[in-house]
Amino acid sequence: MGGVLEIRDLHKSFDSHHVIQGFSMDVVEQTLSCLIGPNGAGKTTLMDLISGRLKPSSGSVRFRGDELSGLSESDIARRGVGRKFQVPAVFKELTVRENLEIAFSREVNPFRNMLKFRDKAMLAKLEEVSVLVNLENRLSIVAGLLSHGETQWLEIGMTLMQEPQLLLLDEPIAGMTEAEVDQTAKLLREVRQHSTLIVVEHDMGFVRRVADMVTVMHMGTHFAEGKIDEIEANQNVREIYLGTEEDAA
Amino acid sequence: MNGNIYHDKRAQWVVYIVFFVSLGLIPVMQADPFLLNQLAVFGIYGLLAMSISLCWGTGGILNLGQGIAFGMGAYGMAMTMQMQSQDPEFSPLPSFMSTNGLEQLPWFWEPFWSTGGGIFLALAVPTIFSLIFGALMFQARVSGPFFAIMSLAMLSAFYILVLDMQPYTNGANGISPRMPLEVAGYSLDPYSPAAYWLIFGLLFSLTVLAKLLNQSKFGQIVRALREDPERVRFLGYNVALYETLIYAISAFIAAVAGCCFTILIQYVSPDQFDVVFSITMVIWAAVGGRLSLIGAIIGAFLIQGSESYLGDQFLNSWHLILGFFFVIIVRFLPNGLAGLLEMLLAKRSRSSTEESPPHGRAKSPAAANAEKAGV
Amino acid sequence: MDYSWAPLMGSLVLGLSIASIWLVAALGLTIIYGTAGVINMAHGEFIMLGAYAAYCAQAYLGTPFLLCLPISFVVVALIGLFFERVLIRYLYHRPLDTLLATWGVSLMLTQGVRMIFGSSPKYVQVPEFLSGNVSLGIMNMSSLRILIVLMTVVLIVGIWYLFYRTYFGIKIRAVTQNREMAASFGVNSERIYMCTFALGAGLAGVAGCLFSALAIVLPTMGSNYVVESFLVVVTGGGPLVGSIAASAMMGEFKSFFSYFFNSTFAQFLLFVLIVIVLRFRPNGLFANTAVRR
Repeated sequence: MGGVLEIRDLHKSFDSHHVIQGFSMDVVEQTLSCLIGPNGAGKTTLMDLISGRLKPSSGSVRFRGDELSGLSESDIARRGVGRKFQVPAVFKELTVRENLEIAFSREVNPFRNMLKFRDKAMLAKLEEVSVLVNLENRLSIVAGLLSHGETQWLEIGMTLMQEPQLLLLDEPIAGMTEAEVDQTAKLLREVRQHSTLIVVEHDMGFVRRVADMVTVMHMGTHFAEGKIDEIEANQNVREIYLGTEEDAA
Repeated sequence: MNGNIYHDKRAQWVVYIVFFVSLGLIPVMQADPFLLNQLAVFGIYGLLAMSISLCWGTGGILNLGQGIAFGMGAYGMAMTMQMQSQDPEFSPLPSFMSTNGLEQLPWFWEPFWSTGGGIFLALAVPTIFSLIFGALMFQARVSGPFFAIMSLAMLSAFYILVLDMQPYTNGANGISPRMPLEVAGYSLDPYSPAAYWLIFGLLFSLTVLAKLLNQSKFGQIVRALREDPERVRFLGYNVALYETLIYAISAFIAAVAGCCFTILIQYVSPDQFDVVFSITMVIWAAVGGRLSLIGAIIGAFLIQGSESYLGDQFLNSWHLILGFFFVIIVRFLPNGLAGLLEMLLAKRSRSSTEESPPHGRAKSPAAANAEKAGV
Repeated sequence: MDYSWAPLMGSLVLGLSIASIWLVAALGLTIIYGTAGVINMAHGEFIMLGAYAAYCAQAYLGTPFLLCLPISFVVVALIGLFFERVLIRYLYHRPLDTLLATWGVSLMLTQGVRMIFGSSPKYVQVPEFLSGNVSLGIMNMSSLRILIVLMTVVLIVGIWYLFYRTYFGIKIRAVTQNREMAASFGVNSERIYMCTFALGAGLAGVAGCLFSALAIVLPTMGSNYVVESFLVVVTGGGPLVGSIAASAMMGEFKSFFSYFFNSTFAQFLLFVLIVIVLRFRPNGLFANTAVRR
């Protein structure tokens, strides 16, 4: 069963330290997969490998049949892969509106962008996304002044402005209040209707609410995969978590 | 609604109009040719400060080697003007070359027989050099202080090269063309209002173009990469390409300034490649406010103006004062005088919104009565 | 080809001498950049101050040349300490601004020295045994240059000992690697930065004292060394071993190029070469790997 994203026998080592060891995975179109695993399992490294921040030592990452490994970050983003970082990375000195405007990257040619002052398609998208991420009243605020939860939403909003087909979200609800988590769950389910998501998350309660599929990583390998109930019932998965992390579920 | 007027686009354009109209009217009121010439030279400094503001302010690329583009432009124009006063038949060789033992015009001097070709090269060579150097550096993701140091090293390499190539550049003596630039049969007297207006027109049009560039999507992306180039990369933009372009555009403006410099001064020497001069450009932009194009221009006017007019009294200690002032600015006003203005205006707009509620209450009858009772 | 081997060997030895001059000039800069990440544009002026300190000690106190070395160290270290306290310490988190602010400092220092001592060159006397030449078999070399090579080795060993064999060195390395973590273990990073800056300035003073005998002493002499020192640090990437490798490489290439072209064009080629090296190793030869997000 092939998917929109096929990862085959991926390896990554830093010096002699093997972080990803023969990882393979398929992601099906318009699903939300959650990636869980103890600290140091290699989840963020995997995100880095997919989005081009790191180059794999060997193995392949194929997206809609195209090989991604070896491409630059911007080329991978151009192919429709959006990324939200673990530590929210927004442009703090710019306003929320500017952050979202810049993220609309349908046109990346610098010469054409020199002549671009008003962009109707962008404005329409901006209106849609700002409502979706609940920032429509905060557009003229400098992004550095947003609360932590709002900053997370802004970055999710930025990835949505990119009109991605595959979204990589690294810990999207870290530091959010209960109400904000509810909003985010709703938001992710809405996004899932048009695109595919991979979410790295520790909070099992949240995973239970949003995930179609759960993949467990352990020591850089694909440890288990299944529906959330299967994973929670899986004795081996319980074992690798024991002592290393509290099972939030 | 009560935003800072500093960020109001309409207010900014009004400031631009007032600023440039008043600069443009100077030759009408002031006819002293030497003063006009000096003010025109200030216009060149303004161009350079503006080019630094574009690269460093907008793009966050601190370029300590802007003198490369400036010097190349200046030398290109000097070569053009020099060849205008040479005769292809009777004296094809500038006199300094024959004194230095050359018998034939070097090949890279040949294109400068043509005025158009010469000016084209004076602008194109530095721009292309910056495209290549910028692409090398930015593709390798050299950034921040490392790029600043490399641009400085490149500049000092050019300085010693120009100094060293005595037969081709006349070394430390520099090139001093005998006649003013002649374009289409019209001789451009460097002390005339025409020369002033030429510089002023270039300053005006290039600044407006730079401002439009800043307001375009391109400018927006460049501002974003100043803060976090990695994030911009993940949005799908080729960061190195954008950095190279803003750097090369800035270098092009400096090359224009270099050409104008030779037109006005009729002399060029390795001093134009001097490290101190390039860093002085950065000081202008830092003092005026690197984030504001017009602020940087005013910074150049202020500093060079005070050097010329206060310099006589403080001739010995001028660098001491300049250094001290610069340190104070960097320490306390990283965004320069324009940043100070922005802060003051922000305070004003905030205090006016805070004051308005009690103001409104004072108008209510009860408050008015209380006031009367108080009196 | 009528180049024989002897002059080529000679040029290699000369390259070593050039390398030692650049390295001794860059040592202080390396320590300051490597520890605190500060690009100190006033470094050349610190070298110049070291030369003037040696000149003063000799002219007014009659101190012999070799004793001027520690005097220059102390004087310039104190001056460095002063600037660290009043200016640099506020700018540690703004690398580009430290670069600019220290350039302002360098302007002030050059002009200040010019106002006190005038623009005319000063000379520093060296003892008899340092003013001659030593025969190295294939070529003669001035004993002063040999002294500089030896001093460079002594200073490197001293710094290595300080950094890798003392408690203070452990603290420096802890702060360099992770400031917050070191702080949570009770290391006062502010004090470490302060000491490092003073140490780096002092080393520039020693370099200045050595150079005062090599060339004339002028208020503007700092600019002769500053670009090369920066290139050593940038090419090396920050750590001490990086600077050693970079200066050795640069010195040899400079000497090698000078063998075929004249010395200024050799300098130009060297700079171009460094640009190309940085194209492939943008963080220098011995850079620490990038920090993870």
